[in-house]
Amino acid sequence: MQKYEKLEKIGEGTYGTVFKAKNRESLEIVALKRVRLDDDDEGVPSSALREICLLKELKHKNIVRLYDVLHSEKKLTLVFEHCDQDLKKYFDSLNGEIDPDVVKSFMFQLLRGLAFCHSHNVLHRDLKPQNLLINKNGELKLADFGLARAFGIPVKCYSAEVVTLWYRPPDVLFGAKLYTTSIDMWSAGCIFAELANAGRPLFPGSDVDDQLKRIFKLLGTPTEDTWPGLLQLPDYKPFPIYHPSMSFAQRPAADGRGRRPLRHGPPGKASCHRMMCAGPGW
Amino acid sequence: MAGNFWQSSHYQQWVLDKQDLVRERSHDLGILTDDEYQKIFIFFSNFIQILGEQLKLRQQVIATATVYFKRFYARNSLKCIDPLLLAPTCVFLASKVEEFGVISNSRLISTCQTVVKNKFSYAYTQEFPYRSNHILECEFYLLENLDCCLIVYQPYRPLLQLVQDIGHEDQLLALAWRVVNDSLRTDVCLLYPPYQIAIGCLQIACVILQKDLKSWFAELNVDIEKIQEIARYVISLFEMWKTYDEKKDIQALLAKIPKPKTQPSR
Repeated sequence: MQKYEKLEKIGEGTYGTVFKAKNRESLEIVALKRVRLDDDDEGVPSSALREICLLKELKHKNIVRLYDVLHSEKKLTLVFEHCDQDLKKYFDSLNGEIDPDVVKSFMFQLLRGLAFCHSHNVLHRDLKPQNLLINKNGELKLADFGLARAFGIPVKCYSAEVVTLWYRPPDVLFGAKLYTTSIDMWSAGCIFAELANAGRPLFPGSDVDDQLKRIFKLLGTPTEDTWPGLLQLPDYKPFPIYHPSMSFAQRPAADGRGRRPLRHGPPGKASCHRMMCAGPGW
Repeated sequence: MAGNFWQSSHYQQWVLDKQDLVRERSHDLGILTDDEYQKIFIFFSNFIQILGEQLKLRQQVIATATVYFKRFYARNSLKCIDPLLLAPTCVFLASKVEEFGVISNSRLISTCQTVVKNKFSYAYTQEFPYRSNHILECEFYLLENLDCCLIVYQPYRPLLQLVQDIGHEDQLLALAWRVVNDSLRTDVCLLYPPYQIAIGCLQIACVILQKDLKSWFAELNVDIEKIQEIARYVISLFEMWKTYDEKKDIQALLAKIPKPKTQPSR
């Protein structure tokens, strides 16, 4: 630990405090994530282990780099590449306007990082502006893989309690437990709309019901016809019938993009690759 | 994490060279013969297997724990950490990584005590000496020595695909699966990619069942030399088993293991 000089606290991650620090030899700025080991029975928490083992396999310019793992008496510290801010803070610094080229660049980088995760069979499961880091060169990097997991055969039940409410897809909100890359695609779509609207979240729900209502008001309430299997979802309950309130032409700022990943009904057909290749026609 | 083996930490850092392995083990092999060294590792593979079965873990988790164990000692002498402590620590870590859900530490310790008492009394006359704090401390060392490479590819999935390709062969699959389990008692998991191990084990299963799949094997695009090497490792294990009585010999072997300087306080 003597290798690093702690500079300031940056925030709280899924399982510990994050500090900005300087490598005393190379003078490089890094982010240190201190892992709490409060539960004496669990040892190194599974969320930290997930992040360590997945980031060890995922080396990509749009995914935050894990440089090192340090351990000392009862403490574990993950050393990450440091980025100046996250997308949430970036939004806060805007005055309600964003350059369309910035939207394109960030969205493309988000999809490129996500495509890499998906091609390695890793679901992020907790995409949100706070977890997208941005550095001085305008590079965007996926971070906080504490909830991520490798997927593959056999698909078993995943916990339904993942993904911050605002970026959570309707099938997961209805209690679906078997999900795929579509969970990340939905979140990416929400983030795209938020980007295009200079930081105004698309579906800022206050609870699960409110979240679903906001989604259905915009996209229309799904039925068993438009979404086969809907009624079988564990926590399904009927909602008032809303008709889609938005057509491609009406959507402000977004130019009609961002709709493809937000079409509900399982399983999501949009993939990162298709969206990157499709360009402005999403 | 399927399908990306060639970019994985497993391939890039943990497919080792035979010469490296010999060099890393030179300290221990000054005290133990090759044969004795392998017998000790067979014993602890069995220990991990039975501990895992008692904890109702999937074979994948047990195999990952065994690979962690072998990787640790591929870089360290047996005197660094008592293998009786490292073995349950590997099971503990693997169960978290493979997302089997966390085994509580107290359950792990009590299962170790039962297993040592009921299944391995021929090896240990005293009770299992370690406690929760030892496992937690050991987990750190394990993590560090594995260089945080925790995702291990196993031969089971490629094996399933291969057998599927051959056609409906339940008996062949069951036997080849057991040969893969046996291969964990050799060094092949440190030396060869898992799909090659799957092919090697499948070939042995075919020989045992007297199935002639020569033309099918000939069409596989693999380095036959490597497959033969893997098969030789497994066959020499079978040869050893014919004459080896673990129950009789293991106490003397365990006594010969180079020991850590400090033993845990009870």
